[in-house]
Amino acid sequence: MDFTLILEWIIKGFVLTLILLGGFAYLTLYERRALARIQARIGPNRAGPFGILQPIADAVKLIFKEELTPALADKLLFLLAPVLTVVPAVVITAVVPWGKQSFSLFGRDITPYIADINVGVLYIMSIASIAVYGIVLAGWSSNNKYAMMGGLRSTAQMISYELTLGLSFVGAILLAGSMRMLDIVEAQKTMWFVVLQPIGTGIFLIATLAEVNRAPFDMPEAEQELTAGYHTEYSGMKFALLFMAEYTKMIAISAIGATLFFGGYREFWFLSNTVFSIDHTPWLGPVYIFIKIVILLFGMIWVRATYPRIRYDRLMAFGWKLLLPMSLALVFITAVGIILAEQVNKNLIWGIPVLSILVGLFAVGMIDRVLRRKDNARL
Amino acid sequence: MNSMLILFIILSLAAVLSALGLLLSRSAVYAALFLVLNFACVAIFYLLLGAPFIALTQITVYAGAIMVLFLFVIMLLGAEKLPKSQSLPWQRPLAIGLAVVLLFEAGFLLFQRLHLTATLAQPEAQINSVDAIRTLGLTLFNQYLLPFEITSILLLVAMVGAIVLTKQEKGAAG
Amino acid sequence: MTTPAPVETLDLSTLLPGFVTTDTRPGYSGWVVDKNHLVEFASKLRDEFGYDLLTSVTGVDYLPDDKMEVVYHAFKTTGGPVLNYKVQVPRQDPIEVPSLVSVYPGVELQEREIWDLFGIIFTGHPDLRRILMWEGFEGHPLRKDWKEAYFEEESKPFKSRWPDGKIVQAENNNKFSDNIAYPAGFDPEKWIPEGEDALYGSLAKYEYTSQDGIKNDHIVVNLGPQHPSTHGVFRVSAVLDGEIIANLKPVMGYLHRNHEKIGERNTFLQNMPYTDRLDYLSSLSNNFGYALTVEKLMNIEVPERAEYIRVIMAELTRITNHCMALGALFNDLGTFFTPLIYLLEERELILDIFEAVTGSRMMCNYFRFGGVARDFPEGILEKIKGLVFERLPKKIDEIDRFMSDNEIIRSRGIGQGILTAEDAIRFSATGPLLRASGVPYDVRRADPYSIYDRFDFDIVVRQNGDIYDRYMVRLEEMRQSVRIIQQAIKGLPVGEFQTGKPQYQVRVPAGESYGRVESPKGELAFYVISTGKPSPWRYHVRAPSFINLTPYGHMCVGQKIADIVAILGSIDIVLGEVDR
Repeated sequence: MDFTLILEWIIKGFVLTLILLGGFAYLTLYERRALARIQARIGPNRAGPFGILQPIADAVKLIFKEELTPALADKLLFLLAPVLTVVPAVVITAVVPWGKQSFSLFGRDITPYIADINVGVLYIMSIASIAVYGIVLAGWSSNNKYAMMGGLRSTAQMISYELTLGLSFVGAILLAGSMRMLDIVEAQKTMWFVVLQPIGTGIFLIATLAEVNRAPFDMPEAEQELTAGYHTEYSGMKFALLFMAEYTKMIAISAIGATLFFGGYREFWFLSNTVFSIDHTPWLGPVYIFIKIVILLFGMIWVRATYPRIRYDRLMAFGWKLLLPMSLALVFITAVGIILAEQVNKNLIWGIPVLSILVGLFAVGMIDRVLRRKDNARL
Repeated sequence: MNSMLILFIILSLAAVLSALGLLLSRSAVYAALFLVLNFACVAIFYLLLGAPFIALTQITVYAGAIMVLFLFVIMLLGAEKLPKSQSLPWQRPLAIGLAVVLLFEAGFLLFQRLHLTATLAQPEAQINSVDAIRTLGLTLFNQYLLPFEITSILLLVAMVGAIVLTKQEKGAAG
Repeated sequence: MTTPAPVETLDLSTLLPGFVTTDTRPGYSGWVVDKNHLVEFASKLRDEFGYDLLTSVTGVDYLPDDKMEVVYHAFKTTGGPVLNYKVQVPRQDPIEVPSLVSVYPGVELQEREIWDLFGIIFTGHPDLRRILMWEGFEGHPLRKDWKEAYFEEESKPFKSRWPDGKIVQAENNNKFSDNIAYPAGFDPEKWIPEGEDALYGSLAKYEYTSQDGIKNDHIVVNLGPQHPSTHGVFRVSAVLDGEIIANLKPVMGYLHRNHEKIGERNTFLQNMPYTDRLDYLSSLSNNFGYALTVEKLMNIEVPERAEYIRVIMAELTRITNHCMALGALFNDLGTFFTPLIYLLEERELILDIFEAVTGSRMMCNYFRFGGVARDFPEGILEKIKGLVFERLPKKIDEIDRFMSDNEIIRSRGIGQGILTAEDAIRFSATGPLLRASGVPYDVRRADPYSIYDRFDFDIVVRQNGDIYDRYMVRLEEMRQSVRIIQQAIKGLPVGEFQTGKPQYQVRVPAGESYGRVESPKGELAFYVISTGKPSPWRYHVRAPSFINLTPYGHMCVGQKIADIVAILGSIDIVLGEVDR
């Protein structure tokens, strides 16, 4: 462990943070423009060409806004909470590989990822699990009933959906036979895991929406009922931090999803064995993963523009009674399928998607019972 | 090795201080947060010992799940502030006595372990191998299968019990 | 002509001989009931004669006669004209009238309003507090001897607004100054608000403890007055047991401007633009109701063409209102503006028509007594035709296709916030709220006004009385409105658009008049009393948004906190009308 290694880490971390923060700023613009498109509006287009300077204008405005701290708030935690929310959102991306081959700079081999630990997926899980603290503390320290309820809701929601999220990771881990992110990506060289784990991917995408508090699972900040939930009392830069955390988490979780199920930095399937393959031109890796992230982000925005908010008790019922059993069944199916494919016939691997789609259909059929819909006796 | 030692000293200071903070804090929320900090320190100790899997599990399970639930309960019950004095009369002497016993035990183990430094390196090397998780899984499901399953059944029983207890209360009410 | 008298065959004076007499004042109709027998009379009327819907209760202060009157307007949900009865009490405090809450729970908020504005105590009312004015307000503003701050004259136009050569701020030259009165021994500088004990006390009345004896800790959450989804400055005070609503009270009056007092100062015609500001999303319906009421008093006819124009405009208003109501409801259910903006697009197109016809997009001020202010401009009919024959039906179907089968809309709407048919009638609900509960009651059919009896349209009814049904009723009503407009355009005759010459000052004979229309929100009625003077003696608005809030608490209890806003959205209120 020499000094240059530490320096390399610091520089890479710095660069990644900058990319994420810039990404956050432009994600807000991207979201507003995309939403406006969907809603037959124009969206911000005044600051700079195509509104490209809008995030900067927003940032300047937020910096110069007055920061208010409620009189009876817990001052220390009120200050700490936004920080605690932002940090996990940024550090979670440390294990995401942006490319395969290292490139050389100043005579050093530099890898296009910060850390390559053999428990990468677990790292993601643990960081995701502590991300809830910021929100809980923000809710509690504000000394406001709306914020408090937002905090409580987010606790319950994030813990519930974390289980599902973790189990949806298991599918990818089993298929790759490793918890290393690099191994998982390389295992998708011939086929993306989304093909083998269609329902698992769906569960992952749903659970991530809940994990980052996006519509239709944006309970903690449900505007219509809790005004703004846990960040009701925040203003100025502290509010910006909470906002930043939310959007950074979106980017991070999209990057993770792209890595686990959509081939990560690997090329698109129709480009394999061409010049555009990663094996030929390794520098395309970050480009590919960037495209995938943008597409996944658009999915989140699209959902937000389309769906109403599911009610809180139904959200919990949906998570515990539908998603969790489904993901448990998927883990079982995947494990059995892999063993059968290894030991009996290689084609049996296709039993995994077939069976999991059956499970998914069964679960969709059960929605009425699980969510206790009352429209059976309607006139 | 020197940097590791410095890191270790800083961490152990942080761990001890956060434990003290946990004990001395009057606010339940702060106490819970100190405990989380303590867990984080412990997790880093595991990392230093070359057991990233256990370190991350520690964070996920204790900091990420259990302590969040603790906070949840504290906030739900509105029990943030502890009353000034609520100690039982025999609590203090008992606590002191137990602390002495604990210190003695710890010291005993420490002195005993001093002779075993040579063997300490061995498990570390084993854990640090690429297949650490695989090894762990195999051990867990072969050598320790029975305890593992019993534990899971125990947890299941506890869960069912909790549900039954709360349900019964509602049934009696309605 | 006054309000149509009750059917001749119904001789109520035999019902309670000696205690019920016919109202014989010239221009008046209905019955005068002895106050000690009011409750008995009302329950008999409800149970034996089928007058189950008591839509309106209001007070009148007859200062010269030294008496106060409480006026009730009852209807049958099977249709038919009004039956009104009055209770007269001497004008000496304490003025007491028995409360009808036990017979018609729908009068709860209205009786509170009468207490607030007239100072009539309703004995037996469970929660008689001020409702529009604030706690600690001194006096009762609708009494004739109460003078508002900067009072100038009893009726407009105020002389100070006609300055002889020099313009003076009217506020600076009146002897009453800011005659705000405070209770005795009250110093506003030293007053520390002691919470809202009265409100929370009334909430605590219904506080429930779980039956196993465990005292549950409840949270009181105030949604509003500053809250993104209360549709304005409206406040909901809810007692929560976890996420479940244990009790709920609406708190209003933040937008109160004493519309009715202003109405008594204005001349009859000056009130027309003021009605725009009631339900500012459907100003033309308000115009319609007020014009109808005063025309009844004046006993004038409206030309054919004007009737058709009125119907077209009123039904277009219904569509714009439902666009807004549904969009807001979807927003309350948590959609991120997309359906709202889709619906607003249609609303804007209709507002363009309003602008072309009336000169204004929202505050139209278009109706006049005996017609409308001006004729349709050239070419506007083609625009309306293009809209109602082609665009609107498609767009309504589009919203239907997008939203009606949405899983979350269904799960959040179906079975939530149920109001049964009996409860809806008891609570005096009207409009889509009532029809979604399975009562086919629409003023356009039940008591046809204008020329609605000529059109072929369906009264939209749903049976379950939940949020989803209210949504479906509104959606279907938009289709029916399109149908009516299509027929009206085909039948639009050529001719005058107003009887006689346009005039600034109308002569209104003495008498009372209760005119009602089916506004998009429910039954909008005006109760106007004229003494032959240029301004009305009493000008009362029976505001559907306000009265539809009466069952709000009832619908919410037992629901989750997220349903508070969804149910409020499904009632469809406009605060300009609630607070008046």
